[in-house]
Amino acid sequence: MSRRVLILGAGAAGLSAAFAARNSGADVVLVSAGAGASSLGGGAVDDVPWEERMHAARVLGSPIELHALPAEVAAFSNALGIWDLPDRAPPPFVATIAGRLRPSRGRDKGLLDLGALHGKRVLLPRAPRAGWDADAIAATLSDDPLARRTGLRFVAIDAPVLRFADEARISDGDLAARHDDPARIAWLGERLREAITTDARVHPDEPASAVLLGSWLGARAARAAELSERIGLPVGEALVGVGSAAGLRFDAAQKKFLDALGVQRIGDRAVSLVRDGDRLLLTRARDTAKIAADAAVIAMGGVAGGGIVYDPPEHDAGEDLPARGAIPFALSIDAPVALALGRGPLDVVASMHGPELDQIAWPKDAAPSALEAVGVHAPGGRAAPGIFVAGDVLAARPRTLLEAVASGLRAGRAAAQPA
Amino acid sequence: MTRTMPRPVNSSGKVEPRRSDHDVDVVVIGGGVNGTGVARDASMRGLRVALLERNDLAFGASGNNSGLIHGGPRYMLNDPNVTAASCRDSGYIQRIAPHMLHRVPFLMPVENKGRAKIMFALIDAYFEAYDRYQPLKRGKKHAMLTAEEMQTLEPGLRGNIVGGISFDEWGIDGARLCAANAIDAGERGARILVGCTMERIERREDTGEVIAVHYRDRRTGKTGKLRTGTVINATGAWAPITASLGRIAPTRARVRPGKGIHIVYDRRLLNYAVAAQTIDDRQIFVAPWQNMTIVGTTDDDFYGDLDEVRATSEEVRYLVQGVARVFPQIHTARAIGTYAGVRPTLYAYGPHEDQLSREHQIIDHAAHDAPGVYSMIGGKLASYRIFAEEMTDILAARFDIGARCATHERPLPGGDKPIDAIELAARMEIDPVAARRLVFRHGSRSLQIAERVQDRPREAATVCTCEPVIEAEVRHVVRTEWARSVADVSRRTRLGLGACGGMRCAARCGQIVAQELDLSPREGLQQAAHFLARQAQRRAVALGPEQAQQEALAIAAVRAELGVDVRDLDEGEAA
Repeated sequence: MSRRVLILGAGAAGLSAAFAARNSGADVVLVSAGAGASSLGGGAVDDVPWEERMHAARVLGSPIELHALPAEVAAFSNALGIWDLPDRAPPPFVATIAGRLRPSRGRDKGLLDLGALHGKRVLLPRAPRAGWDADAIAATLSDDPLARRTGLRFVAIDAPVLRFADEARISDGDLAARHDDPARIAWLGERLREAITTDARVHPDEPASAVLLGSWLGARAARAAELSERIGLPVGEALVGVGSAAGLRFDAAQKKFLDALGVQRIGDRAVSLVRDGDRLLLTRARDTAKIAADAAVIAMGGVAGGGIVYDPPEHDAGEDLPARGAIPFALSIDAPVALALGRGPLDVVASMHGPELDQIAWPKDAAPSALEAVGVHAPGGRAAPGIFVAGDVLAARPRTLLEAVASGLRAGRAAAQPA
Repeated sequence: MTRTMPRPVNSSGKVEPRRSDHDVDVVVIGGGVNGTGVARDASMRGLRVALLERNDLAFGASGNNSGLIHGGPRYMLNDPNVTAASCRDSGYIQRIAPHMLHRVPFLMPVENKGRAKIMFALIDAYFEAYDRYQPLKRGKKHAMLTAEEMQTLEPGLRGNIVGGISFDEWGIDGARLCAANAIDAGERGARILVGCTMERIERREDTGEVIAVHYRDRRTGKTGKLRTGTVINATGAWAPITASLGRIAPTRARVRPGKGIHIVYDRRLLNYAVAAQTIDDRQIFVAPWQNMTIVGTTDDDFYGDLDEVRATSEEVRYLVQGVARVFPQIHTARAIGTYAGVRPTLYAYGPHEDQLSREHQIIDHAAHDAPGVYSMIGGKLASYRIFAEEMTDILAARFDIGARCATHERPLPGGDKPIDAIELAARMEIDPVAARRLVFRHGSRSLQIAERVQDRPREAATVCTCEPVIEAEVRHVVRTEWARSVADVSRRTRLGLGACGGMRCAARCGQIVAQELDLSPREGLQQAAHFLARQAQRRAVALGPEQAQQEALAIAAVRAELGVDVRDLDEGEAA
């Protein structure tokens, strides 16, 4: 009989754990309460935080390089189907909506890869949307140190990319969903083609090399490739940090991925995970039936995703002192694991009220925020017998998608092995 | 070497206005409510004025106070004059700037302990006396309430109380008040130099008279000089520093700096403001204020850097503890920020902070061999106008101009006529809430913003969704209110101060500021990054569970879009 592996969380770490566990021959049950950090992410698929890569490259005076990916990571990414993780130089660069150019190891297929362009002139169609002041974004991008170094230039142009009046106001996600309609993509392709033709007449010597748009190109799947094919130029989205169409596309891909993998999926909130002899038992919020498994992978996200909660004793103090001193962070479910802020375990703060976060709640230069660094203490990904940990819920790991995937694959594989 | 005889120093010596060898008649130093108030009054009376502000308008105590122009019933015993003057002037402010005021009714619970009945009667009598001042500020008279009535009015109230008292105050946004005064002064010809720090006052060696004021623009590093014979030091807690830069002993313009902090919550948690007692028997409050709730305040001697005043976790917990005794839900409410300011209280060595006088005083430094230099010390938000009037009366005498003060009669910019926010919303095609907030901040000047939107419809786009703030308003405050950075825009519009921590608007605001001021776009991004980091520190000291999750999301967003390590932006070309 194959081992039964329980996975908590359906973000990048949970999916990769499910992938590895299934490939190791385990039966997988996945419990997820809903959207987390992966579904809210912007679509940059980083291995290490990008500023660190830029900083290192600048200090050494060397170009930013690609690091080879393990075959299993590439296999997972292919199965998920929404990321492009190139294995050859030049490394991808994406433009952010704030107006920065940044490297990323890979990207959601909807984002425009500026690393692979021939030519230096990128067009941004003007659109009367709150987050899309094409002129300002183009000017800011052109002023980025990386753009200056590589000679990339961003230019706002007139092109009617919105079709209906309400599209000036609807959210990025809603606009992205409208582009799931092939007819709409055809319409947009026509408009862009016209604009590019006009632009070529005005600037015959400098043909456009790509078109950058907002986070609009498809909610169920990225439509950038189809659009690029239609107009004969790379077209893609700028990166939006939180709440982008790329996040919606992750959600859509997640469901397909789990179905294809043959994973039983339960939409519920986990409450507790306890050991019962040689099994683990999971209690849920809505359904009273417990779920038994041989091993479990906790991949519920960090503070941002809701896997870890900040819970200082003062929060429920009522009219007087809090009931007890406590560790100010907690896993969002009961489980026999300990938390850590860095590499050592987390202690009770010597205050009846809670910690002082003022110096550590926000990242400073290279040091991560306490809200990022806190997680389950699990050296090597193993927190307790049969309990493995992956992704942002793991203490002291860089908060990048590929780190989540790597730790998920490791945890899923380990959970599928007989103890 | 010939020696000129020093002219006798005479503080009442007349000075001719509009002297050709003077660029301006008066240089006002300090862009708080007193400085902008004097700049307005003096400009209105026909004097040529320049105002220097080191940081930003309302950067100090004027923009970081309880946001109330209250009569201060607290001061009635020791400083009845303060109470009377504050109430009268509160009435005037309501007349000249009705748009930026909102009523804040208070409840004061009386704890059931010791001789509670007697206490209650005493408090009743006390407020009976306060009622006499209420008509001056269109306030309602107090009411004596039973414990049940208190509970009905404010169901969240807890604790063992015998009853309570209601009284009536007005809320105001101090930063808007400063901006309005500065705008009016500017429109009457005053030069408002924001971000410019005074470096020295050039004075005659023999008589000590003022010749010029030298300043430096802190952003560009450019220096400048204003020839003048009169300088007003209206720099609040910075007053002794300012005096010393004018070669006057700092002890001559001494204040007793008292730090006060406030905690901001994400919504209106109560119907009424509620007074509470701290563990050391100080009076504090929790108040619905604008679209939020604030808790304040502390009063502690301050010895730190006035440009970097921040609340600490201890101060936050001290206040929350006091409020929790009457309103325990405060523990689970969602704090979205803190702010801190330093009061420029009149100097005295010995008394407890709370016992210090809230009176104000004008120091004529002719007595310290520096004729033409005046320091405005002490005061309160509610009495800023009368303080400015007193100062300008001295100027009027000095320049021998007959003009009388009219600042209590002529409306501040935006206060001249009421604007229907709903109608404005329809006209501008923006959210009615956004329109209401726009009118609250700008009064009839919101019509100027509406005009911008008419010409450029895309500027109706919302930049900050929490507040909300539209693009046209951001551009308006950069163009007409001397905002030069994301932080300045935030001070004037409350952009980026909501629950999201600015993650959706700071970068966009930086783009707009850079466009408007013709800065490099990268500078706009740097401003955004610094604003985000600074505001995060202000939230961190009051962080609770929900905001912590939002905080982590904001970090993720900033990491993805901007980068949390701005070294490469700062280094720029080194890359």
